[in-house]
Amino acid sequence: MSSPDISSSAVETVRIWDPLLRIFHWALAAFVVLCWGLGKFGPDIMTLHFYAGYAVIGLLAFRLLWALVGPRPARFTSFVYRPRAILAYAAEAWRPRPSYWRGHNPLGGLFIVALLVVLALQALTGLVADPDDFVNVGPLASSVPSWVAGAAPGWHEFLGNLTFALVVLHLVAIAFYKLWKREDLIRPMLTGLKTVRR
Amino acid sequence: MRRVLLSTLVAALPAVAMAADAERVVEARKGFFSLVALEFGPLAAMAKGEMPYDADAAKAHAADLVALTKYDPSDLYAPGTSADDVKGTGAKAAIWQDMDTYQKKGMAFFEAVAALEPVAGNGQKELGAAVNKVGATCKSCHDDFRAKN
Repeated sequence: MSSPDISSSAVETVRIWDPLLRIFHWALAAFVVLCWGLGKFGPDIMTLHFYAGYAVIGLLAFRLLWALVGPRPARFTSFVYRPRAILAYAAEAWRPRPSYWRGHNPLGGLFIVALLVVLALQALTGLVADPDDFVNVGPLASSVPSWVAGAAPGWHEFLGNLTFALVVLHLVAIAFYKLWKREDLIRPMLTGLKTVRR
Repeated sequence: MRRVLLSTLVAALPAVAMAADAERVVEARKGFFSLVALEFGPLAAMAKGEMPYDADAAKAHAADLVALTKYDPSDLYAPGTSADDVKGTGAKAAIWQDMDTYQKKGMAFFEAVAALEPVAGNGQKELGAAVNKVGATCKSCHDDFRAKN
């Protein structure tokens, strides 16, 4: 790894997150929270939950596209790391100093993949769910075997709890970086500018 | 000897009978909700436009639903018939632990059905609004009292 002390000449502040990716991030945060809240506490006629879910599906589609053709830091090729690299990063991550990582670090990249997979499964189980109330039936429920449609609400609820746990983990990680590692990861997601190793 | 055997048999009888009864109650309960679904399904399909709206058919289904609400369902909730006791049912034990709430949710359903009946023949739009209210009472109760499979 690098030397313990990184002099100011070893880092630079550059644009890492492009504007669309930043809009995507905050829109996804808003709509996932909205979906979750409406699902748990919302009206029994879940029209708004459905629309918020469609918005999440649209955002996931954009992210998938962006991971293939977007700017470099947004691509799969720059945030999907080998297990060895993830373990190596994790072994260092507890140290109280900024990572100065250019984009998603290996552990963060793993989290992004996990979150996108869980959200995609969440969308899928929602689309095919038949909760047997005749009014909150997913638009694709009749396209799958009835046992799948019948089981989907249970999976959807489990995945909702899992999503909540992932969001909490995300916030804890941000706080850990800010307070322990003295690295602000929030501002880069607002301005796009991140201080990274040269 | 014969006497001992007989008394043992008699003593064992209630337990056997109860297990058989529990299964019958579960069957009957599921049958009741199958009837509800059979009558409500077409109304929901008409409301969503998945099936052409037919005022006479809608009225008939609504009348059948109302008839079902006249049935006193208390026999369907015999003790020992929850998902914890018997296989093949999604009725959570919470029903028996909080029968007051369960009955309130049941009443909300009955009331929504009563409100649906007079408007079922008034066209797809009015039917749709009433169907939504009934469906909402289904969900509200499933959320708390129906096991997710």
